[in-house]
Amino acid sequence: MADLIVKDLKLRLGDNEILKGVSVSVTPGQVVALLGPSGSGKTTLLRAVAGLEQPYAGTIGIGSNVFYDADRKIDLPAEKRGLGLVFQSYALWPHRTVFDNVGYGLKLRNKPAAEIKTRVEKTLAQIGLGHLAERFPHQLSGGQQQRVAIARALVYEPPVILLDEPLSNLDAKLREEARAWLRTLIVTLGLSAIHVTHDQVEAMAIADKIVLLNAGTIAQEGPPTALYNDPQSQFTAEFMGSNNRLDGTLVDANGAHATLEVFGERITGLNRTKAAPGSKVVGISRLERVHCSSNPGPNRLKMELKAPMYLGERWELVFTRENLTVRAYANAPLEPGEHYVEFPQDALWVF
Amino acid sequence: MRHILSATIFAASLAVSAGVQAQVPAGYPADYGKIVDAAKKEGKVVIYSTTDAVSANPLVKDFETLYPGVKVEYSDLNSTELYNRFIAESASNNGTGDVIWSSAMDLQVKLVADGLALTYPSPEIKALPKWAVWKDSAYGTTYEPIAFVYNKRLVPEADVPKDHAALLKLLETKPDAYKGKITAYDPERSGVGYLFFNEDIKNFPPSWDLFKAMGKVQTKFYTSAGAMMERVTSGEHTIAYGIFGSYGLARSKKDPNLGIVLPSDFTMVTSRVAFISKNAKNPNAAKLFLDYMLSKRGQEVVAKADLYTLRDDIDSDASIKAVTKLIGDKARPVPIDETLLETLDQTKRLAFLSKWQKAKKGE
Amino acid sequence: MPIVPIVAYRFLVLGLTTLAVAMPLSLVVYQSFLTAPFFDPSAHTSFAAYSFVFQDDDFWQAFWTTLTICTGMVTIAVPLGALLAFLMVRTDVPGKRYLEPLLLIPIFVSAVVIAFGYVVAVGPVGIFSTLAKDLLGFVPWNLYSLFSLIVIAGLTHVPHVYLYSAAALRGLSTDLEEAARVSGATPFQVAVNVSLPMILPAILFAGVLVFFLGFELFGLPLVLGDPQDVLVLSTYLYKLTNKLGVPSYQLMAVVVVVIIAVTAPLVFTQRLLLRQAQRYVSVRGKGMKSKPLPLHSWRWFAFAAIILWLIVTVAAPLFGITLRSFVVTWGEGVKLLDVLTLDHYRELLEYPNVIRGIVNTFGIGVIGGAIAVACYTAIALAVHRWNSGWTRLVDYIVMVPRAMPGLIAGLALLWVFLFVPFLSPLRSTMVSIWLAYTIVWLAYGMRLVSGTLLQVGPELEEAARVSGASDLRVKRDVTLPLIKYGMLASWLLIFLIFVREYSTGIYLLGPGTEVIGSLLVSLWGTGAIDLVSALSVVNVVMIGAGLAVAIRLGVRLHG
Repeated sequence: MADLIVKDLKLRLGDNEILKGVSVSVTPGQVVALLGPSGSGKTTLLRAVAGLEQPYAGTIGIGSNVFYDADRKIDLPAEKRGLGLVFQSYALWPHRTVFDNVGYGLKLRNKPAAEIKTRVEKTLAQIGLGHLAERFPHQLSGGQQQRVAIARALVYEPPVILLDEPLSNLDAKLREEARAWLRTLIVTLGLSAIHVTHDQVEAMAIADKIVLLNAGTIAQEGPPTALYNDPQSQFTAEFMGSNNRLDGTLVDANGAHATLEVFGERITGLNRTKAAPGSKVVGISRLERVHCSSNPGPNRLKMELKAPMYLGERWELVFTRENLTVRAYANAPLEPGEHYVEFPQDALWVF
Repeated sequence: MRHILSATIFAASLAVSAGVQAQVPAGYPADYGKIVDAAKKEGKVVIYSTTDAVSANPLVKDFETLYPGVKVEYSDLNSTELYNRFIAESASNNGTGDVIWSSAMDLQVKLVADGLALTYPSPEIKALPKWAVWKDSAYGTTYEPIAFVYNKRLVPEADVPKDHAALLKLLETKPDAYKGKITAYDPERSGVGYLFFNEDIKNFPPSWDLFKAMGKVQTKFYTSAGAMMERVTSGEHTIAYGIFGSYGLARSKKDPNLGIVLPSDFTMVTSRVAFISKNAKNPNAAKLFLDYMLSKRGQEVVAKADLYTLRDDIDSDASIKAVTKLIGDKARPVPIDETLLETLDQTKRLAFLSKWQKAKKGE
Repeated sequence: MPIVPIVAYRFLVLGLTTLAVAMPLSLVVYQSFLTAPFFDPSAHTSFAAYSFVFQDDDFWQAFWTTLTICTGMVTIAVPLGALLAFLMVRTDVPGKRYLEPLLLIPIFVSAVVIAFGYVVAVGPVGIFSTLAKDLLGFVPWNLYSLFSLIVIAGLTHVPHVYLYSAAALRGLSTDLEEAARVSGATPFQVAVNVSLPMILPAILFAGVLVFFLGFELFGLPLVLGDPQDVLVLSTYLYKLTNKLGVPSYQLMAVVVVVIIAVTAPLVFTQRLLLRQAQRYVSVRGKGMKSKPLPLHSWRWFAFAAIILWLIVTVAAPLFGITLRSFVVTWGEGVKLLDVLTLDHYRELLEYPNVIRGIVNTFGIGVIGGAIAVACYTAIALAVHRWNSGWTRLVDYIVMVPRAMPGLIAGLALLWVFLFVPFLSPLRSTMVSIWLAYTIVWLAYGMRLVSGTLLQVGPELEEAARVSGASDLRVKRDVTLPLIKYGMLASWLLIFLIFVREYSTGIYLLGPGTEVIGSLLVSLWGTGAIDLVSALSVVNVVMIGAGLAVAIRLGVRLHG
């Protein structure tokens, strides 16, 4: 099976440019997460792939099967694309039973009743809801509804399954379980999927590749580790993980490293800027990479510890100095007062 | 009598089916049987009428008994609607009423003058008054005196006006007692009202004084007789000026509080005018119905329905005889002829109406 | 490009709707530029009709009176309707469950019936008037003044404002009200300062609607305006006929064109307001099941106010008409006990067309109503989720028939049935009457159905599309089953409207196709008030039965 390829897609709603030329590809068996803040266009991109939104430029297609091509004036309606889509609200038809909800796609494909029955039962068994086939959606819990929605999208074996924030309607604890369940399901069945989410942890957990969108363009794409450990832009760096932000003046930038000055002290990190010395720059460092020491040293700032917070498996410490606030983790609480906060050189990106 | 009659008709219809000509009513031309046969083939007659179905029902039932096999389809409409519908249907040639029977005499005469009626000299012509037949097309079918109707509870016997002059005097001498208590048709909004007031002017010289007096006592003008009589029975008004005697008579039989006066100086008499449509789909059945309606038998039913017969050979409280007994030779039937077209003359209408508007204010 | 079934369907429906509305409408407009009936060979084009009407003092009098009445109606109906909605939706007024269906009665009872009921109840010698005269020595009201006409028209249109305001209020979060409450506002202040301003677009929308309905007011001025010669545009049409002796279609057509010209901008305004209203409704909160606002000591006062309104607008006229149907006579000096009778009903049974009329009325309400709802649904579905300028056209088209008085719409349809060859065989069947009703009530029905459609979440339909269902299949498998109950409710409301309708059918009915409404009008003309009142009671009972069924089935009577 060929890759799903979206090329240079542009889309506007009213006067708003929602997608400004986005390209994404999904290889068979791959799970791609579309990640981004709200308004970045991730859901619109997903709906455009499904055929529910109307782009005005670019192409969408799987191999020789062209879904959309602005230049060739091809626009396959949603029902002809054969994809599976799971809605954020699940969109289960309230007037149909679970069985009928799941079986509808097969019925539309004119499969014989017997085949529909076996395939729906098999799919329901895969998602662990075989016993609920005769229920109506409103008789199910939120988690069960979400599974039915996924089964409905899977049952006719679409080449790619599209998931629109499928976990966002579940409460926090259930969401983590569902995340693990969904990843397992995708891997077991060898599915190709596009998964829209605004939750970076979810994206990293589920996806083989993350496409990070910002205001209708791709900020960065790649495997989760690359986005997390090697952000190419300040936006990516700040969007992924929990971060500390140092505002300072660039002192020196040569090759791989850059040095900035904060409170008169020099801090060196990885060079990600093209700015000239003397201009304002930003240093970003993940919370878990910042640590605390009692002595001064290179790349350390003297700061005052405010209230330590107990998070269960560890402590979170909040340091301040003038208008700078820095957060860090520790395994044990420290005494409030003056401490030295270290920003390791290989864990600080200067933008 | 009835049994014998229906037996005869039964025999007659048998005769028809055997191919023999139907029986001809006495005094009718010999070939009338052809019309009867043709009518039975047509099987129905469509009537557009302003006479409500309740009053007309006995007539319809009796006709259907007389001519089994000819069904009557009866539609009652108000006169404007009837006129609108008839001219539109005639123009489209898509079928319309066979017999057009309306109390709006002027509109009926106009339709005949416009050539929408069939010329058909009824065998009953000689039994009818002269004024009631026009161009062998339009036939008067009733003899309806226009009456004063009053509330017996509330109008003292001494005040009941016996003629137009008495009414004028009453209004001039007791304007306060009758303020807002008089009611009449509105000549501005109702065709009937317009006709009535214009006939008054012809017959009663001080008519405009009367109209002014009516204006001064704040007479209320309506567009329907029903609304007027209802308000006279209830006492909201006490005297209604110019009500069809037929309505008054029928109503007074139900409500003994309602009194009727036929003014003794002159009583205008109107008639419901019938003609056969030129585009009739069932012309023979239409002829049958028209003749029946004018015949003695039909007119007896008309009288029984309180519609006042115009044949002088019928005894009833709704007949020429009864009216003559009350007012002698003071009846003034409105003749069915081209003079009625004058009432439709726009310039005259607008002139009358502007004078009327002043009178209404008492000027 | 191949013809996509959905596109074909949409344009087919659009075309048929346009045709159904445009045929009678264009005939009327065309007629207004002629000198004689359009089928008269002597007719030629001219502006004479326009200059006649515009130079006629009566026209201007009728025009300004109509505007006065419309304005007065809005002034009365809008604040009362909005306040009523607030009380019913948001507060703990007692007996809400039972009050709600009663509130809507004025919409479903024919205006002629209400008006005549008023004459018997509070006319100069009406039952309550004589009572008041005995107590006070004078009658403190005058039913026949323009003022009374405006008050009655205003009060009977309160339910329209209520319906739209209540719907908007239901969609509004209650947090805002609770916040005002906590800050110390009385319930009345909450209503005036918080809730009602929030639903202002909906209220304005209803206000424009009431203004609009004022233009086609007919039954009330016909009966109540008759003695005082209060002329409005719809009764001016009658007077026109008499001015010239014969009916002059061109003049009537001019008046209709004027009405359309005045009301068209109103439709436009309504569209704008509606868009605004939807924007507001999106302020949906989570507190949908919140507790009603406690009125405390005001509770019974509010209840009494609603009851008073009900007595004045519903109970008094219905009592009047019912009483009239059981007495021989009434009025000054009559002891009602002496004149009680059942004769009117007995006579009614003898009336040859009455039984048929009742059956037909029922038929057109039940069967005709169902088919009409099916048509409205077909149109609404065609427009549903159609991103195109054509939908705006449909919005306007469906509103146009509303601007024609029912009587004229009926006459125009008679012309259509007469002069369109393939339609003429249908003229003397119930089909013609059904079509006339369906067209005249198009706007109302469309609003009912599209209101239901709006409640279907778009993702339910999209889910079916993605699963492989074509557009039409989605409508069949998903949309229609989901709006089933909404359609049922619409059917019921259309039933009530069709059973009540009286002026539209007059030109189209014939032997065998009588309906109660037009029988009432023709009986009214001949003076058989006894029968009119008895038949009115029958009509009201039918409507009452319909309402009872509605409540029993739990149909929500609001859109």
